[in-house]
Amino acid sequence: MADTQSEGNKAKLQIFKDTLYDTVQQHGSETRLFSQRDLLDLDVIPEDAKLGKLGLLLQVVQALCDDKLFIGTNSPTSGLAWKWRSREEAKKYTSLPDEETMLVYGIIDEAGSDGIWNRTIKLKLNMHDSVVKNCIKFLEQKGYIATMKNVEHPNKKMYIKANLRPSDRATGGPWFTEGELDIAFIEELQAVVFEYIKTKSCYRVPDGGSGVTKAPKKGVIKGTAPETNGEAARGVKRSAADISNDDTPALAAATVKEHSSAPRTGPLKPAFLPFPAGYKCYPTVREVAQFVNGSGLAKNISLGEPDIEKIINVLVWDGQIEPIKVNKRRGYRVTRPHKLPATDYATRLQQRQAGIGLDLPVSGIKPGGSGLGSSPCLRCPVLDICEEGGPIGPSNCVYFAEWLGLEDRATPGGPRIRPEQKK
Amino acid sequence: MLQVTTSLAELCSLLVDETYGELPSRIFSILLKKGRSTASQLKEYTAMPSRQLRHGLAVLQQHNLLYYHLDKPNGPAFYEANVEHAYNLVRVGKILEMVESTFGAPAKDVMQNLLLSGQTRVADLMAAYQEKIDRANNAKALDEELGITSLEDTDGVNGDSHPAKKSDLIIKSSAHLNSVICRLIEAELIDLCHAKTYETYDDIYETVEKEITATHFPGGVKGGKQKADYQKKLAEGLRQVRGESKSLKRKLEQNGLASKRRKIFQDLDLNGGVKQEEDSDPVLDPRQVIRVNYEKCSVELRSRRLVQFASDVFGDITSYVYGVLIKKITKDMPRCRLDPLVDVQGEDDEVNEPLAVSTDEILDSLKTSIDLSIGLGKPDWSKISAAATARVVEHAPKKKLHIEGATAVGDASSDEGEDSSDEEEVDGDYKPAMTNGVNGVNGMNGTKVPPKERKMDRRTQLRQHLFLLSESPQSFVRHSGPDEWTIDFGPVLTALRESELDAVIEETCGTQGLRLVHILRANGKLDEKALPNLVLMRKSDIQQKMLEMQRAGFVHVQEVPREPKADVKKSFFLWFCDVAMSKDQVLDTSYRAMVHCMQVLGTLREQEKDVLSTSKRTDVRGREQELMRKEYFERYSHFLKSERMLFHQLMKADELIAALRDY
Repeated sequence: MADTQSEGNKAKLQIFKDTLYDTVQQHGSETRLFSQRDLLDLDVIPEDAKLGKLGLLLQVVQALCDDKLFIGTNSPTSGLAWKWRSREEAKKYTSLPDEETMLVYGIIDEAGSDGIWNRTIKLKLNMHDSVVKNCIKFLEQKGYIATMKNVEHPNKKMYIKANLRPSDRATGGPWFTEGELDIAFIEELQAVVFEYIKTKSCYRVPDGGSGVTKAPKKGVIKGTAPETNGEAARGVKRSAADISNDDTPALAAATVKEHSSAPRTGPLKPAFLPFPAGYKCYPTVREVAQFVNGSGLAKNISLGEPDIEKIINVLVWDGQIEPIKVNKRRGYRVTRPHKLPATDYATRLQQRQAGIGLDLPVSGIKPGGSGLGSSPCLRCPVLDICEEGGPIGPSNCVYFAEWLGLEDRATPGGPRIRPEQKK
Repeated sequence: MLQVTTSLAELCSLLVDETYGELPSRIFSILLKKGRSTASQLKEYTAMPSRQLRHGLAVLQQHNLLYYHLDKPNGPAFYEANVEHAYNLVRVGKILEMVESTFGAPAKDVMQNLLLSGQTRVADLMAAYQEKIDRANNAKALDEELGITSLEDTDGVNGDSHPAKKSDLIIKSSAHLNSVICRLIEAELIDLCHAKTYETYDDIYETVEKEITATHFPGGVKGGKQKADYQKKLAEGLRQVRGESKSLKRKLEQNGLASKRRKIFQDLDLNGGVKQEEDSDPVLDPRQVIRVNYEKCSVELRSRRLVQFASDVFGDITSYVYGVLIKKITKDMPRCRLDPLVDVQGEDDEVNEPLAVSTDEILDSLKTSIDLSIGLGKPDWSKISAAATARVVEHAPKKKLHIEGATAVGDASSDEGEDSSDEEEVDGDYKPAMTNGVNGVNGMNGTKVPPKERKMDRRTQLRQHLFLLSESPQSFVRHSGPDEWTIDFGPVLTALRESELDAVIEETCGTQGLRLVHILRANGKLDEKALPNLVLMRKSDIQQKMLEMQRAGFVHVQEVPREPKADVKKSFFLWFCDVAMSKDQVLDTSYRAMVHCMQVLGTLREQEKDVLSTSKRTDVRGREQELMRKEYFERYSHFLKSERMLFHQLMKADELIAALRDY
């Protein structure tokens, strides 16, 4: 009698289990948390005479948890709640030989795509070293878990469920390949982004700047166009003599001189010019991202706007481009466009391979300034102890001697230069 | 006030040594070391006979390298070193070059003589030139008699005794000299010496303070109103003292519209113009003592530096326009850094508010040979937002405008919203709106030149350049009102300083170092762990770079313990970048670099003593290559090359120091 009743109860329980599991699956993804209230509101569990509604629910949920189909969680915000787990996953659990392995697998499962450090496993489970080791070995053999590398902690041995991909945080996002920062990729991408911004944010002189004076006469006062142009050419030559008795050229002198030499000598011709103020089409982060993704540069990696923004920020910090806001539209433009070389990126690469201009950056230009860098003192490692009369001093400085090209000259009378001081 | 560090003091005494010899230099360095001293104290310190000491002090005094102060009318004088002027010795070359390009060779010659002989009476200067002119006349007469053309190069510049031909004379007559000096005085590059010139600012301040307390507030200063009054009187007194040296300029200005007349002649032929000009200038009082005004010189040098900066950012034409604007604005600016007490309170905010210059004024001063259509891109004009250009007008950060045009500002911002939706006809719609609103005064955009014709007159082109300057993040120019332009020197100089610092950082620590510094500047303090994510550099590389830069003084680290126990392993390490601190660091390094350059030069001179003494012989001079032995000549030319390199380095360091410290 009691047997049949318990049999019947079991069958009933099984039915309830299946219906509850299916309904819960219908109501949300694997990550959704179901509280007791949610489960009751599903209207699956009927009023039971003996146990009451709650009692029956307790039994059903307990049975589901035993089957690893439900995962119980307890968080301070939502209280006791459950998530469902797929039948295949549950099967993996049930197929495990012992409790310890199950716990280890459970904790790795919980860590999700971030992975977990094997020492954390030991600490959390408080199990013996060898036991954990055995469990991990077993799980690895079965193909349930895999080792992974975390860029933030490259030396830690981490485990992750075999069917998951490590999260971006663990892999470091698109900038890392196999746990290493992919410098070459980043540099390439920087150059491409820079080229794109360059072509979009400054005006390319049509004939490659072969004659600035020949520039279109758009801005010339009507009727006097040829004269004005001619005068420009003459005026430039005349300016040096003019300067002496003119009022204005105090400031212009330097620039006019530069100006007069600039258009004539080859490499100084500006190939790019800034756009007038109020230009609306400086490329934005979104446009750059669209371009990069559309170009198929990064085949396997998807680069979102935040990733591109990172690249752009680095370029800004390098002083190659600058943000500019026109009508609340935040675009980017290259700095000092008139100083950019006319050669494009591809040509530069070829030149570099051929060994031309290796000291120049691949794209863009060096920051300006008066430049004190060539002085030996600025990067002298012993500047702090350098003084006249000391063991190291300006009069016997090897760096200065080298800089002045005096190193190989024997200097009679004066203090000898000691080559062994050289670093 | 200049902060005198050990290396700066060393540099200054070396500079004095280089220019005026060892005796003044020794006294100068003792003065720097010991501070304000009397002659008898100095005698003790230097262990020099008082005759020598007096000679040395006289030289220093003559070149304005000394301050003195008398406590009592008959008491002993206290001497103090004038570090600013001593440092300015390194800038002499630049100043001369600037004067030459602005006022021509004669002015440079006068300036050079003035720099060489220190403060001079006008009469003495006249006499020196007169002698030269006479000698040249005689020589010319002699030449004509003998029929020989002199082969020798004239070296009139240094006041050497070479006979110069009349045609090579830079200053042709005393009237010419007079007019040249007048022009320099008008430009404030030369000013007058008076009794207070030799006192330090602090001494002057004290004297004025005493005077005012004695005459106006014998019972002491009480209450807010009296205090304000006292401040005002103090500033007035100080201004008065300072104004004394400008009295000559004022006199010249009163004398007539000399400058105006000059403007008429300036376009005429040089020689024809000069004659007229000379007559129009008043003859200077020969007893007056004049000297070079370094403060105004550094304003001029700053203007040049800024133009160079603009040229670096935008190109030559735009920077030329900028130069014209700066010239207009700095015309009456006496010094780079205004004194908060004396200048700000003065003359009802007039000094406070920077001058605004209208587009037309700039246009009038542009050289006709400059083609303004060069230097700017020529895009599809539909892509240029007129609203954005108009926006610049509205957003000028001038308080006055904001209050007046409060509604206009509101309108503009709503307009921008529409405009960002990028409609093609928008521009057409905006023009009339702009003309009605802010730009209605001139109305040039709307009426004269419809933008669709894509033809711009010179004025529009000029405006384009100015707009470009005002749009830049360096804030070169501020569009302060409809068609009015001004320069806020604060922000643009900050940008200049930063770019100079950047250049130094780039040269010492590379581009990656610069990137890290920029990140720290943009984000403030950053944890060590947050950096790799931003920089896209390898962690180990970053650590290495940061350490390198910390040692160089460009970045600094702060340790913040997580627990009271301050476990190093658990502490946060925050990197940050203090611009002021790194500025000081760079300044000190530059001083040292300069000191070292000069010392190396001294060593070289010592080494090549025999060669140099040969080259100094009068029969060898000018014909070194012919007369010196081959080996000697090689050594000589090598020495000259090294000397050039070292001086070049000095100039570069000075440029950096000027940008960081003086401008």
